[in-house]
Order: sequence, then C-alpha cells, then structure tokens
Amino acid sequence: MRFHFPIFEFPPEAEALRAEVRAFVTEELAAGRWKKGGDFASNYDPAFSQRIGARGWLGMTWPKRYCGHERTMLDRLVVTEELLAASAPVAAHWIGDRQSGPLLLRYGSEAQRTEFLPPLARGEIFFSIGMSEPDSGSDLASVRTRATKVDGGWTLSGRKVWTTFAHRNHYAIVLARTGDAGAQRHAGLAQFIVDLKSPQVNARPIVNMAGQKEFNEVVFDDAFVPDDRLVGEPGGGWTQVTSELAFERSGPERYLSSIRLVEAALACAREKPTPRVREALGRMSAKLMALRTMSLAVAAQLQNGEAPNLEASLIKDLGNAFEREQIAVFRALASDLPKHSDDYLSALAQTTVYSPSWTLRGGTREVLRGIVARGLGLR
Amino acid sequence: MSIAPVLATDPLVEEAASRAFSDLAEKWFAGKVTRENLLTAVEQLGFAEAAPGDDSGAWLAAAAIIRAQARAAAPIDMALLLATGDRAAAIAHDPSEYFCAATSPMPASASAHAALSLGRCLQIGAALGAALELSIRYAQDRKQFGRALAQFQAIQHSLALAAEEVAACTTITDLALACAEREGIGSPRLPALLDAAALVAGHAVNVVYDMTHQVHGAIGFTQEYALHRHSLDLLRWRDHLHLARGGDIGCAERLGDAALAAGSAWRAVTANMTPGATP
Ligand SMILES: Cc1cc2nc3c(=O)[nH]c(=O)nc-3n(C[C@H](O)[C@H](O)[C@H](O)COP(=O)(O)OP(=O)(O)OC[C@H]3O[C@@H](n4cnc5c(N)ncnc54)[C@H](O)[C@@H]3O)c2cc1C
Repeated sequence: MRFHFPIFEFPPEAEALRAEVRAFVTEELAAGRWKKGGDFASNYDPAFSQRIGARGWLGMTWPKRYCGHERTMLDRLVVTEELLAASAPVAAHWIGDRQSGPLLLRYGSEAQRTEFLPPLARGEIFFSIGMSEPDSGSDLASVRTRATKVDGGWTLSGRKVWTTFAHRNHYAIVLARTGDAGAQRHAGLAQFIVDLKSPQVNARPIVNMAGQKEFNEVVFDDAFVPDDRLVGEPGGGWTQVTSELAFERSGPERYLSSIRLVEAALACAREKPTPRVREALGRMSAKLMALRTMSLAVAAQLQNGEAPNLEASLIKDLGNAFEREQIAVFRALASDLPKHSDDYLSALAQTTVYSPSWTLRGGTREVLRGIVARGLGLR
Repeated sequence: MSIAPVLATDPLVEEAASRAFSDLAEKWFAGKVTRENLLTAVEQLGFAEAAPGDDSGAWLAAAAIIRAQARAAAPIDMALLLATGDRAAAIAHDPSEYFCAATSPMPASASAHAALSLGRCLQIGAALGAALELSIRYAQDRKQFGRALAQFQAIQHSLALAAEEVAACTTITDLALACAEREGIGSPRLPALLDAAALVAGHAVNVVYDMTHQVHGAIGFTQEYALHRHSLDLLRWRDHLHLARGGDIGCAERLGDAALAAGSAWRAVTANMTPGATP
C-alpha cells in the first residue's frame, strides 16, 4: 500500500482525561455558559478559551518553560475531539493552539516563543491565518502581498482575504513575498507575525452566506513589521507553511462538523427509533470509527515527528465527504423523528448553510485529491 | 496467541510471512498440505495455538498471513482454506461456496464467526489494494489522445477516491485485527468493530468496483485481463461477509442500537474504540 495508517489506540490514562473533559462539558452546559453550535471555525467565545486555558487544555504539548503542559499529542487529541463532539465554542483559540503555537515552537525565535506562547496557552491571545489573497487561493505560492526590507524591519503591503476572525483576533501569521520567485515558484516567501490592531492593518469583515461576520478582508497599508516578527528565515516561508499541513488536515475537525446534527437527531429519536434511524446511525458510526482510526494513526505519527502529509490530505477529503453526507441523511429522516427539537432544527440549518465551506477551507477537495493522486504515482 | 509480528511493519517479518505462505502454497499444489503444516508455519511465524479445541487461533493466523501476503497480491483465498484444515472440501468447492457449505448454515461458534468476518475483511482489503494497484499501472501505461490516462485529472481523482476507500477499509480492518490479537477473538467489542469493518468494506467495494473498471475501459471486462479476478473475488467475499453478519443493514442496525443505548453516537464510537472496554 502506498499509505500508512498504523493502528494506535488510546491508553487507559487517556480515557481518564476523556472523563474529565466530559464532566467539564456537562458542568458548563448545566451552568448555561454556552450553547452547542457552529463548529471549530465559527463558535467564538474568548471567556471559554480562557477557562480551558486555566485547566491546562491549551498548549498541552508545549514545553513548560513556555507555560505549556508537556503532554502528548494524543492527550491533546482527547481534549480537542471531546470539545468538538460537544460543539463547544473553540473558535477563538483554535488556530493558535493547532498551528500558530506549534509553528513558533518549530521555527520561531526564542524571543517570539517567550512572548507569544504563554498568553496563547492561557487563552489570552488569539491568532488568524493570513494565507489566501484575492488572486491566490488554491495556488497559494502565487501570493503577492509584499514585504520590503526597511531599517529595523519590513513594510507590508497587499491584501489578504477570508482571514477568519481577523477582526477579533490579536495576531495573524501572514505569508508574504520578500523576494522574487525566479525560476522556483516556492522561493522568496516568508511568514510574519502581524499585529492586527496596528493602525496600518485594516481588517474588514466580509459577511458570509449565513449572515455572520467571521472571515475578513485584511489590507496592509505599508504596515511596519519589526525584524523580530519575522518567523524563521526569509525564503523559508513555503517549507514552513507546508509543515503545518499535516496538523491542519488530519484532525477531528475534518469529520466532526455535522456531529451535532447526528446527536440532535438521535436525541429526538431515542424513545421510538425507526429501523431507518437505527440503520442511519449505524452507517454513520461505522464510517466515523474508520475515520477516527485513521486520524489517530496520523496523530501518533506526528507525535513521533513524522510528516504524514499524504495521509492527512486523504483523511480530510474522506472526512469532509462524510460530514457532508450526514446532513442529507439526517434531513431525509426528519419524518421518522417523533419530534423536532430546537437543537435538531438549528443544527440542520447551521450545517446545511455552512457545508459548502467545509470542502474549501484548509485545502479544497480537488487540491486534496490531487495530493492523493500524486501519492499514488499518478502525477 | 499473538499475531503481532505480522502487524509490525518490519519488511523482514513481512517477507518471512510471505515466504512461509509460498511454502505452504507449494505444498498445497503438491497435495501435501495438512493442518499440521499450517500450524507449523504459523508457529514459525511466532504464533502459538489458542486453547485446545479452539480453532480461532488458526483462523486468525491465516488472516494475518493473508494480510502480509496481500502486498504481493498473490492467491489470497488459500490461507483461509488451509486454516480450516479440510482439504477435500476445499478442493471440491469454489472458495466462497466452500465456506457457506462447509460451515452451513454459518460458523458454529461465535469465535469462528468472528474469525470468518475478520478473514473476509482482510481478504477484501487485499483484493481492493490489488485492483487499485492494477488500475494505477494501467493508467500509467495506457495512452489516449497522446497522453497517459494518468495525466487526465478526472482519472487521477477517480483513483484518489478509490484509494481513500481502500485506506478506510484496511484501517478499520486492522483495528479489528488488533483488537482480536490483543483481547482475543472473544473480545466483547470485536463484534461492533467487525460490523463497522463490514460496512466500510461494503462501501469500498462499491466505489473500487466502479472506479477500477471505469479506468480500464473494455479490457477490464474480459476473462483474459486480471482485473476481473479481483473484482469477482471482491463481490463474492463481500456477499459472504454480509451474509454471515445478517446483511449490511443488520450490521448497521446493531451499531445504531449501540448509539441509541449510549444516548450518543460519539460515546458509542469512543467506547467501542477503547481497548478492554465492555460496551
Ligand atoms: C469559511 C472559510 C474560511 C476560510 N478561512 C481562511 C483563513 O482564515 N485564512 C486563509 O488564508 N484562508 C482562509 N480561507 C480560504 C481558503 O483557504 C480558500 O478558499 C481555498 O484555499 C480555495 O481558494 P479559493 O477560494 O480562492 O478558490 P480557488 O482556488 O479559486 O478554487 C475554486 C475552485 O477551483 C478548483 N481548483 C483550483 N485549482 C484547481 C486545479 N489545479 N485543479 C482542479 N481544480 C482546481 C478548486 O478546488 C475550487 O473548487 C477560508 C475559506 C473559507 C470558505
């Protein structure tokens, strides 16, 4: 086989942590601190992020000297999958915890780590991803936002789009061009930590199809970025960006976007489940088990320092199709449900309207299939 | 008993498993194979027999050999036949009929039942992989419009989709195998894992059967070209697997009931995926 998904199962300690997270979720819901809703990229609640930071559930794998908790990637996975399965409001801290923090740990300077990792781990500052531009989507290497060297730093000019929560977050990691690409398209790129509150950085929400302000256009009007905000080396941007991909594509957020709908339908059907509902829940469970096994395999490989980019892309494509399929299935079963709870109706509306974004964000379906095809030796 | 060595990715171990299998195959053709041969081979590979009278160890070992052998895409039904130790019946019957007939109505013990499902899922995974590999090679060799088929994006994406299903099927099957290996064929959570594997395998067969034939064009629909062998194997094994488990709807309803009983699909899934759990 051309893919590698070695079986990994959680040890008993991990299950103790799972029980802890479940108890926390139950307590939060009972206290009415939040309602189930949205997904990892829309349900935004800074106070919630601070509470889980206080419990040690952010920056879980980072070194203690940066206020991390030196736990394993797999412990982190227990926490993230349980919070996603509960449709908890994780959007504020999601990007910083998943990829900006790990990026700084790997490529950032000591000063950057000391400055940014502790508040990230406490849930006090939040990060956005500044990659896409009006003319650069799937073809990310064609970005045109330019960083020009000046005394003591760089000036940034250009425009990013679809930058999720840039109007509320504190920083964005921006991919910009520092030099000409020349013959190699992927050369001449660099990543910068950009202060989104700076006066020369203007984030303007682009209202989405659901009527929500989540993603933004971000304009850099000769924004000054000090030297110490360059991440890694000028020219290293492409390698750095691609190193984030396995983290970005293999996690449970790629197959749990519609779990709330499934659980809400189950709750409505529980007293008198029809054979069709039982069958649908079973088919869904089977695929979920397969996806979760694959996702755990990738997490275990990441923990070992491997870079299973191919496997991660494969999981995202399969997972996005799965989460999309559940909407059709559990809408069609509406007449089999004895009642329609508010949770079911709102989950149905939310997942249906947001579903087109799932197969776009984080790499489109077509891009992912291209990566898988390359892994098969077809290109 | 342990089948851990074959689960390991060590190529030497896999090669040893492969060689042992080939030895067996030779003896088989020479009419010299016995249940003892199988068990010897199994021991050489580091397996021990399960409790006396319990043949699930042999089944599992055979399944593991198939898995190791699968990478070479060799005649993969043989190991299960060998595992039963009933050569005469094996010769007299086509493999899929053989199992239906020899174990009529179906395997008697729960452990043989589980082992049969596991074996079938492993075989299906192997045949899916073989059909996919054949299609990849064909797409690379065959030219139309002055280009290899592999250069057309539509072909790339079809085969990518097929590969995703193969990966899902082999991974959930490996999970069931790991469970059987660590907790025994009687593990209380194994039936749920096998129901899941049977469903995922069924879907994978549909997708791969569709995509691999489409990529091959007319040649794939002949007796002469090898694809048909994998396809017919897939169809028979899939049907036998589902029949043995009470239909794919049966598998789905049982898993659905577990979700309803837990009050949450997520909780049922995590429970079934927790080693040592008694769901
Ligand atoms: C809700 C949401 C949130 C987002 N958040 C962020 C964010 O925070 N930060 C950020 O940087 N970006 C973000 N994005 C942007 C996202 O990464 C891009 O949408 C994605 O990379 C695709 O780019 P595009 O939208 O320009 O589409 P395009 O690249 O123009 O693609 C349009 C269509 O053409 C297809 N296509 C393109 N190239 C090929 C090809 N070679 N072969 C076949 N088909 C092709 C694509 O698959 C797609 O179907 C977000 C997007 C969404 C929807």
